[in-house]
Amino acid sequence: MTAPDASPRRSPLYRTLAALGALFEPLNGYAAARGCGRDVLDETAAARTLGLADLSPFPRTGFKGWNVAPWLAAQGAALGAESNRVWPQADGARIARLAPGEVLILGDRAGGGALVESLDAAWTMAAADGCFRVAREETHCWLLVTGARAEEMFAKLCAVDLRPASFAAGAVAQTNVARLNAIVIRGDLGPVPAFDLLADIASAVYLWEALIDAMAEYDGAPIGLAALRSLAQEGGAASG
Amino acid sequence: MMSRLPEPAGRLLDRSAPFEFRFEGARYRGFRGDTVASALAANGVAVFSRSFKYHRPRGLHSLAGLDANTLVTVDSAPNRFAERVPLAPGLEVAGQNYWGTLRHDRLAVLGALHRFLPAGFYYKAFYKPRWTWPLWARLIRRIAGLGAVDTGAAHGYFDKQYLFCDVLVVGAGAAGLAAAGQAAASGAEVLLVDENATPGGALLWGRADADGRRADEIRRALLEGIEGGAVRVMTETACLGCYADNWLPLLCGNRLFKLRAKALVVATGCHEQPLVFRNNDLPGVMLGSAAQRLIALYGVKPGHRAVVATVNDDGYGAALALLDAGVEVAALVDLRPAPPRSARADALAARRVPVHAGAALWEAVPGRTGPGVAGARIARIGEDGACAPGVDSFACDLVVVCGGYAPAAALLHQAGAALSYDQGSHMFGIERLPAHVFAAGAVTGAFALDAAVEEGRRAGWLAARDAGFEKGPEPAGASNRATAGWNIGWPIFPHLEGHAFVDFDEDLQVHDVERAIEEGYDHIELLKRFTTNGMGPSQGRHSALAATRLLARATARRVDETGATTVRPPVVPVTIGHLAGRSFEPVRYTAMHFRHLEAGAKMMPAGLWLRPEFYGERRRRAALIAEEARNVRENVGLIDVSTLGGLDVRGPDAAEFMNRMYTFAYLKQPVGRSRYVLMTDVAGVIVDDGVACRLHEAHFYVTATTSGVDSVYREMLWYNAQWRLRVDVTNVTAALAAVNIAGPNSRAVLETLCDDVDLSPEGFPYMGVREGHVAGSPALLLRVGFVGELGYEVHVPASRGEALWDALMEAGAEHGIRPFGVEAQRLLRLEKGHIIVGQDTDGLTTPHEADMAWAIAGKKPFYVGMRSVRMQAEKGLTRKLVGFEIADEGEGRPRECHLVIRDGTIVGRVTSVARSPNLNRTIGLAYVAPDQAEPGQRIAIKADGGRMVTATVVALPFFDPDGARQEA
Repeated sequence: MTAPDASPRRSPLYRTLAALGALFEPLNGYAAARGCGRDVLDETAAARTLGLADLSPFPRTGFKGWNVAPWLAAQGAALGAESNRVWPQADGARIARLAPGEVLILGDRAGGGALVESLDAAWTMAAADGCFRVAREETHCWLLVTGARAEEMFAKLCAVDLRPASFAAGAVAQTNVARLNAIVIRGDLGPVPAFDLLADIASAVYLWEALIDAMAEYDGAPIGLAALRSLAQEGGAASG
Repeated sequence: MMSRLPEPAGRLLDRSAPFEFRFEGARYRGFRGDTVASALAANGVAVFSRSFKYHRPRGLHSLAGLDANTLVTVDSAPNRFAERVPLAPGLEVAGQNYWGTLRHDRLAVLGALHRFLPAGFYYKAFYKPRWTWPLWARLIRRIAGLGAVDTGAAHGYFDKQYLFCDVLVVGAGAAGLAAAGQAAASGAEVLLVDENATPGGALLWGRADADGRRADEIRRALLEGIEGGAVRVMTETACLGCYADNWLPLLCGNRLFKLRAKALVVATGCHEQPLVFRNNDLPGVMLGSAAQRLIALYGVKPGHRAVVATVNDDGYGAALALLDAGVEVAALVDLRPAPPRSARADALAARRVPVHAGAALWEAVPGRTGPGVAGARIARIGEDGACAPGVDSFACDLVVVCGGYAPAAALLHQAGAALSYDQGSHMFGIERLPAHVFAAGAVTGAFALDAAVEEGRRAGWLAARDAGFEKGPEPAGASNRATAGWNIGWPIFPHLEGHAFVDFDEDLQVHDVERAIEEGYDHIELLKRFTTNGMGPSQGRHSALAATRLLARATARRVDETGATTVRPPVVPVTIGHLAGRSFEPVRYTAMHFRHLEAGAKMMPAGLWLRPEFYGERRRRAALIAEEARNVRENVGLIDVSTLGGLDVRGPDAAEFMNRMYTFAYLKQPVGRSRYVLMTDVAGVIVDDGVACRLHEAHFYVTATTSGVDSVYREMLWYNAQWRLRVDVTNVTAALAAVNIAGPNSRAVLETLCDDVDLSPEGFPYMGVREGHVAGSPALLLRVGFVGELGYEVHVPASRGEALWDALMEAGAEHGIRPFGVEAQRLLRLEKGHIIVGQDTDGLTTPHEADMAWAIAGKKPFYVGMRSVRMQAEKGLTRKLVGFEIADEGEGRPRECHLVIRDGTIVGRVTSVARSPNLNRTIGLAYVAPDQAEPGQRIAIKADGGRMVTATVVALPFFDPDGARQEA
């Protein structure tokens, strides 16, 4: 186990998770919550109904500028023309195209970030004219909301209809959640609805508390990585 | 005394679940399924509240939750319609608006004075002498009005939720159920909402036929069409309004739903109208629909002996329902001179109820000992439409009135449909439905049950098609709508002695309306505003039609010529709690936020951020701030400056972009150097400042003020969109954690944690910028001098901010490092004469006024605001920002915003002031007249209590004028 305040990098939510009794494991220079103080079976059950996980330690990056698409293509990334949708990558990463000239790149579901790391390593100001790196690990916290009641809960915080008929797997909404600018991405875990939620990292504690409050009526609960792994083992490969 | 009827009456009750509750301190019992109103009625409680103006006793009238008669206070929440409050165990309910007791209200004496208190009397009284108005206002507020707010009540939890559907159907009566079922059958996602606890509308209680079976058969068939999850049903839910693009707020419990529907079907039915006659407001006088609801839904026998007055065939249905409930019907008064035959009339005749056709209620007779009805007097209607002399009296404890109908068309009206009055049916109808809005049932005038169902099906099919779901052939419209025959032209019979009420909410009588018209308020909107008719909780649902008829008659016009008043949302009253909802107030924490708390920081807001004001106990605030400042001057201090804005300006045109956005020159700024930035708007007003670090030929990292960075970012995007330079701007404020380590020992501390940057004065001079590592973290280092000491701003990725803070505090321990807060920083920068944009500048401050002409590059061709700045400079100054110190502390110390006065005229104000422990005197910045700006000038500042304090203008900075310390 890892002491979260001994890690060189720290999620803005590590104290919140520690207060729940979370156990941490090292990941990407952070301490990531393996569990949130409850048995993994309980947290897995919560994940199916309504769960909230902190994925802020997971690798991610972003690029902006008028030459984003050509530069990414030159690096071997697969990026389609349509904005506000996710373009899945071979290593499990997902590229969310936010605009013709902006992408958000999320590492895989297990916390791996091969593409993220290779793109960050390849990028320099000189080499990528018109394509500018944005440190999305630092600008945005990354939360994951899972479960059958997630859409209903989101409806208390967000004006976008997130139900599958209007927000299918891989859809991206750049919207407002609990009065915060936010990016919402649908990436179901097999049969379990799941939404990646990225928002201002400085407001992470506020957003977490707003979500927990909104989740209360549905018996939603914080969950750790172990519950997500458990869901994945049940056959819940990411479908977004 | 009312009592419960045996089943099947009371279909909403769960008689196995009795509850106890309290009203006005007395204990009563009811059942699950009751409302407060029905339970009170079942317990024989006749008076629920007192009226707005005359404090007349009021009770059940519509049982629809519309008028102020039934407003009660429930568990400290005032102004709840008793019909809309589900009974729950232990509810504490109280009446409203009385002085004394509900039964014996001392202010009831006002009723005897009604002749002297006509509508609008307060416009003409109480204003002479003028000083008396506040006294009258307080008195009137006390005796007139509704419930009292309990400011000590516990906060409720209200929130909001978005909803989406293809078709929203409002109203779950016959038409609504049919529409919802049909739309769902077409494949649309359908939401059906109804204010009541159970779908069915009037099908649940209305005596639509002689034997009372038809409505239930239709209801059961229609319910089958919405079962199985095809239709989402929300009961006890009110649709508050219809806004653009079918944005529809729904009120349900403590939640306000914000619904977006592709198509809307309004099937809200109609409101049964009262009759206007003397004492028509007495407890015991109620609508036919109310009496039938009491019986069918709640099993309450509304009285023992009744007189029923009606303008249509539904009155016969009401009378039949009363008879079946065991109520003796003494007489049925039909206002029509020759009522047509009908099945219900025949059934009533068979039960030997005497019918008085061509007659009207002349008055309800109050009881001598109680507040209710003791009898009714009826009179024949003469050829002139008024009651003829000679009356018949009936002893009764219940007067049931069926005064016709007005469509419940508020939503349609708000959506853009027009209301028009039909002189044939004497009823308002709907015209010109807007796109994506449909209507069906009684709200459109389809009163026949079969017609309502047929129209509902058609509206549901059309709405589904409108939403993109077309299936099967379009259903045919209704063949027999039965629109006419429900209203008569003149159901108003004023009495010489008054108390014939048009609007119960506002205690408006016939003569109030007539007098207002005589005074010239002869337009329907003027009449409404002067009399307040229709401005109470019922919003004219029971009074607008009568007032319109009175106006038409008084002005010798037809009703269709008088028009109708505008109907605005909300359709039903909404609490402030619903509108407020759960508040969302984002707050931003820096990466080191919790370290500050652990160190005892007192936090203060800075925009959305929280920043340490100082560290330690608040009672020692001044001393702690002074200690923190002294430690920076003498040793080393650490401040979290993460909240300062950070913007990456990148691209081949980055320098050109900077040159246009800021007043200084940036084209030749060397890589590895920082430069002050000052931003003006197009009017030449200072809007922000910071520093620009050139990290690469094509990359500037620009800082901005904490509260200004978002608008600076917006401005940059706005201008870049116009200029189309090859530049990208990214707001990286939250992405970077930053500290300023400042003081003579700052270099020594930093050297222990940074081994890849030459920190020597030569290797890293003042205003230099370096990239390296601090405590293992990639870092951007800036040599800055905001507080006037040797100092470094260290910017690291936000995720590493707390670790950086920990490392610096640990490394600085041997040097006595301590954190300092915003207040100490303000003091230290004041000693250096540095301005804070927003504190030392205002919405009009120009660079020359702020003595910042040095920050303007005079030779470059353009920057935002350049033209204005030049014009202002040529025009000359009207004020100038200067430093001052207090010559004589004995006169007192001014505070920020105290005025600078010369010859009795305001010439400026103090913007910053503090006692400097380093300088051992009070120093500050102030705007003064330009000719006062030379050092040595004496200025007068008006301090607390009007005391004049003399200050001396001095040259800036106050401290270390050569900058030797910061450039060490």
